[in-house]
Amino acid sequence: MKKNRSQARDIMLSVISILLLVAVWFLVSGSRPDFFPTPMATVERFIRLIEKPIMGVSVFGHVLASLRRVMLALIASIILGIGIGLVMGWNKKVRAAINPILMALRPIPPIAWIPLIILMFGVDEFPKVLLVFIGSFFPIVMNTMSGVALVDDMYLKVGKIYKAKTWQMLRHVVFPAAMPTILAGIKIAISSGWMVVVAAEMLSSRSGLGFLINRGRDSYDVALIMVAMILIGVVGALLSAVFTLIERKMCGWMSKE
Amino acid sequence: MDEQRVVQVHLENISKSFVSRKTIFEAVNHVTIDVYKNEFLVLLGPGQCGKTVLLNMVSGLETPTDGKVEFLNSDSTDVGFVFQKTAVFPWKTVMENVELPLELKGVPKEERRKRAQYLIELVGLKGFENALPKQLSGGMKQRVGIARAYCNNPQVLLMDEPFGALDAQTRYQMEEEILRIWEQEKRTVIFVTNNIEEAVYLADRIIVLSKCPATVKEVYDISLPRPRDYVDPEFLRIREAIEANTDLAL
Repeated sequence: MKKNRSQARDIMLSVISILLLVAVWFLVSGSRPDFFPTPMATVERFIRLIEKPIMGVSVFGHVLASLRRVMLALIASIILGIGIGLVMGWNKKVRAAINPILMALRPIPPIAWIPLIILMFGVDEFPKVLLVFIGSFFPIVMNTMSGVALVDDMYLKVGKIYKAKTWQMLRHVVFPAAMPTILAGIKIAISSGWMVVVAAEMLSSRSGLGFLINRGRDSYDVALIMVAMILIGVVGALLSAVFTLIERKMCGWMSKE
Repeated sequence: MDEQRVVQVHLENISKSFVSRKTIFEAVNHVTIDVYKNEFLVLLGPGQCGKTVLLNMVSGLETPTDGKVEFLNSDSTDVGFVFQKTAVFPWKTVMENVELPLELKGVPKEERRKRAQYLIELVGLKGFENALPKQLSGGMKQRVGIARAYCNNPQVLLMDEPFGALDAQTRYQMEEEILRIWEQEKRTVIFVTNNIEEAVYLADRIIVLSKCPATVKEVYDISLPRPRDYVDPEFLRIREAIEANTDLAL
């Protein structure tokens, strides 16, 4: 009962704060609606966007196009990031060899890669996915590495006492112990990948939310920009919420402390 | 008694030192111990002496700098280990934790489940097979640890201050329980503690170790009948005798 009531209260507070935000938006946009469209105009633009596709792609098609790029890149960075991170966390020599390279590459923002990648790969699908990969790979590899390196010695001792082979040690001890840290890395990777995909699409693209923003800029359709921005925010939040559910499912064994 | 005096583990003049930051740290110094089959041996010593190191060498986790550990009259050097902070895997259920040693050996699921089920019932956790450790109390977690230690059917069980982190009441309860389990499934137990009362309550034999580096200081045979009574005059006499004779400084 008590939990239900506090949940209801939290939901109400969220609704109120969103309504407040919309109210502020109303006030601010009142003076120059052509420059900064009102919430109503934005909703209207959204409905029109559903009815009238841009570049032959519906608004949901644009969302899916962005999602698809992020998912492809995430699959690659999860596989490579966990693989490389696992080996680096497990083997000090490999870590010593690879870590400096990662440390030097990591601070380079994905946007800084854009000119080089365009020169090398053009403006097709692949360079966009590659950019998202660059934005999502590092948090996964870094978190996996530190998660694996920091597994409690006591757990490793259990494995050694019962003569676990290396793969058994990884499967039964190291990997599950590092799982919460790895998932936290993936979570960061998802949000950073979602940000990068928009940037990649703003460069040159015929689909995706970043493309919609560009389109809005080019045709002075500010409401379209607003619609795309809000969609980016909402879809990003949904992605993160869905992943939190997965996280809870996979690491339900963690105690609350 | 004669049957018990078969040597199971022989520690021959063991020394162990570690080098850290160019200083040599001696943990164990010339320790010779015979551990008899199915006896409950307690190694009693002050906080930071080489008790755990000694256990690690029996288990094969560490090798002595000098001397050797021999397993006699058995073809297996498998040991079970009960850890101080339980070391039960929080991501595995009770069943999965207990069966782990057999799973690592590649024993088929059905067979190892049967064994684990028997042990879960032995330690009094029937009904908690599918529970996760976070749902268990400290004492129950340690029961899981004990069942796991028994799982691959080792002849020797090593226990490293297993009840040190429990509250007093649970600790008394678990001391009773470990004896009940051991009576039912006799094994050679090497039990490390710094608690004299616990040592006298549990042990067939107490070996008192000195401060760092650990050396054998004194050996006591405890022939009090079980179950023992903490306030029995004879119990108290032995306890005081050990207290007077050692510089545990706890």
